[in-house]
Amino acid sequence: MAEGDVRSTHNPEIVSCDDNNEDGVQINCFTEDLESYTLHFQIIRLQKQIFVWIGCNSAKFGHLYAAAPFALRKSQNSMVSVASILGGASDNTGSSIARRLVLKTGLNIVLACNIPKNSPMLEADAEKILIQKLRSLGYARPKSEGSPVPLSKVESRT
Amino acid sequence: MEQSSSRCFPVSHKKLSLDIKVMASQIGSMGTILHARKEEGMSIDPTYSVSVILGKRDEPMLMACGRQLIQHISSSRSPKPLVLSLGLKDHSLETLKAIVSTVVENRLW
Repeated sequence: MAEGDVRSTHNPEIVSCDDNNEDGVQINCFTEDLESYTLHFQIIRLQKQIFVWIGCNSAKFGHLYAAAPFALRKSQNSMVSVASILGGASDNTGSSIARRLVLKTGLNIVLACNIPKNSPMLEADAEKILIQKLRSLGYARPKSEGSPVPLSKVESRT
Repeated sequence: MEQSSSRCFPVSHKKLSLDIKVMASQIGSMGTILHARKEEGMSIDPTYSVSVILGKRDEPMLMACGRQLIQHISSSRSPKPLVLSLGLKDHSLETLKAIVSTVVENRLW
């Protein structure tokens, strides 16, 4: 999917909002209009965890996945385990997004997404938009670092 | 006690949402996640299903909090299922009561 196909909406009724309060919780909401779908995002950054909701055309909560980094031995690079905890389509739509978010951020991730199943392109678009936003917010590592987050960095963050 | 709920939601009409999500955190993470809904049934008295889907399963106060909230939600015209996450340092009755009353004060249903 080309970059030019994604358009950010600046409709005054649906706005991107960044909400930082003194409790250390950061909430970011935004909407992206794709050609045939509208994707809504809500990112809640807690101290040790990030909650992400991805809505496709509606505000339905969708399937819920929890993902976390782990390693069997300290010398290993961190691996990621993902669990489906609510809902879950037959192709686990959203679980791969959760897995890659953990790899890029090193934090525990809880992801809710109502992307319809059998839509790999839509899933990929949603993930790309989300990663771009997380990078701009500073929650994810920049593009130049390709390898997964090493365990020592993961431990110091969690 | 810290409490965060969505203050700015990207979909402009919150009442069109099909689910309700509440998050309360003191510990820097979501903590225990519960799912609660009103069961469809033929009897006059409503029945509710509350379950812990991730986290502490041995804290009865968390289940009680979920149960209270789903009952409040179900008193509205179109009851919706609830996903509730509680990351709390103490599970005392006062804390849970405060959570329930705060959520009901800021209700969106």
